[in-house]
Amino acid sequence: MSALRDKYAIVGTGKSRLGQVGANSLSLLEEAIKNALDEAGLTNNDLDGLVVRGADDIYAHHQLVAARLGIDVDFSTSLDNGGASQILAIILAVMAIEAGLATTVVCGYGRDSWTRTHQKGVEIAQNDLIPAAQRPREHGPEFGHFGAVSQHAFGARRHMFEYGTTRRDFAAIATAFREHALRNPEAVMKKPMSIDDYFAARLVVDPFGLFDCSLNTDGAGAVVVTSAERAKSLRQKPVLIKGFATHNNTKGWIEEDHMLSTGAVESGARAFRMAGLGPKDVDTAQIYDCFTYMVLTQLEDYGFCKKGEGGAFVSSGALRLDGSLPTNTSGGQLSEAHVEGMLQIVEGARQLQGIYGPQRQVPDAEIALISGHGGNQVCHSTLILGRA
Amino acid sequence: MSDYKKPIPVPSLESQPYWDGLREHKLLMPRCDACGHYWFPPSLLCRHCSSAKWSWTATSGRGRIFSYVVYHRVYHPGFADEVPYAVAVIELEEGPRMISNVIGIAPDKLVCDMKVEIAYQAISPTVTLPKFKPVAG
Repeated sequence: MSALRDKYAIVGTGKSRLGQVGANSLSLLEEAIKNALDEAGLTNNDLDGLVVRGADDIYAHHQLVAARLGIDVDFSTSLDNGGASQILAIILAVMAIEAGLATTVVCGYGRDSWTRTHQKGVEIAQNDLIPAAQRPREHGPEFGHFGAVSQHAFGARRHMFEYGTTRRDFAAIATAFREHALRNPEAVMKKPMSIDDYFAARLVVDPFGLFDCSLNTDGAGAVVVTSAERAKSLRQKPVLIKGFATHNNTKGWIEEDHMLSTGAVESGARAFRMAGLGPKDVDTAQIYDCFTYMVLTQLEDYGFCKKGEGGAFVSSGALRLDGSLPTNTSGGQLSEAHVEGMLQIVEGARQLQGIYGPQRQVPDAEIALISGHGGNQVCHSTLILGRA
Repeated sequence: MSDYKKPIPVPSLESQPYWDGLREHKLLMPRCDACGHYWFPPSLLCRHCSSAKWSWTATSGRGRIFSYVVYHRVYHPGFADEVPYAVAVIELEEGPRMISNVIGIAPDKLVCDMKVEIAYQAISPTVTLPKFKPVAG
């Protein structure tokens, strides 16, 4: 795999409007793709590939996206790995280009969960957006067990039991990312958050309170992938794709030690090997933060600290912009907007382009690690990007 | 029972023997005839050795709380009067893990690895739920 190191690049990144937009997921995604193409100096007619995370309620999603763009393509598909899909889309784009199936591929995801949970004037739970036919009918709902919050909270509880991790450690994550969001004009959350604010918020599924949970927002992101060779003739300074891998703990989240030790162990080790790098080489991390705890455990799994020491690591201030590992520098899904990892890819690439002012730029960022996590809590993907 | 407002499980063709067992106060799990491995929920082949020969086998009904959470948000109107309530991952002595409730103890008294045993709870003439309670003493 290391033969592919630095052979492909991200040449344009784009976001849609974020927050309470009131647009459907397809139009949000189109908006992000338009912005990514503009940044790359390309148009829809330059695209011959498209890989998108399928909206769960839309059949043949990629076909509808391409139809809106008015393009026929040589390679397109929709992905089904939840929050691990967005990095997988980039991996598939690289594989398709390497195999000669396409040359210029757009990858993206759009999500309209805020609009869809507020359609009837009364807020409904995001869990209620899951199509009825996809919901479990036994071994869960009869016990009052619903949705992703509680599944992840099982992991948080067991981690607290085994390693002495505390909600104060989770608060260090939530407040660090909020502080980053205040530096990001595009971030949805605008109010400072103190440790006291974190503990004052209502409990959702204990040990998770409101600020342990990612945002319910509308938004989209997109990136354009092509060869590093072709990137030389394009408008933007490219960001090189140095390493990637996936690993899915598909035996199940509650099986073995999966809720304590994620697929980041395997996907991280293989992505680092492909890139010829290790945790010490990473200047900024963009970690899939559906919940605070998931940041802590993935940081351990990647080897930024030892298993069980994540609480001390995050509470040391390491994740802050001036810390040893500036993490989720946009505010992440906890405080910028939740687009299932797509905005983390955009943020990692932009930090390496060095486009931000000093209030929000990681100084001299050369290597970014980005993670994706999702599905039924078991799919994992890792992407390592480098400054060209 | 007709005023039961919580979700009623819908057995599949594969899980029907499990629900039939619960009605008779037996906690049955798939057990491999070849290697003795237990697993849950049911599937066609042994998840350890891929043997197709296995049998629904009564378990001890004893285990431990591997992890648990306490719901404060109401996700289903049937649980509006129950919050805060505990949902746990129970690990049976025989190995399989399953989602259930721990009853007979305040949620704030729970800890991981607490020993529990099954408490059968009939919710209709045909459906009995496998809940768990702390082992006395």
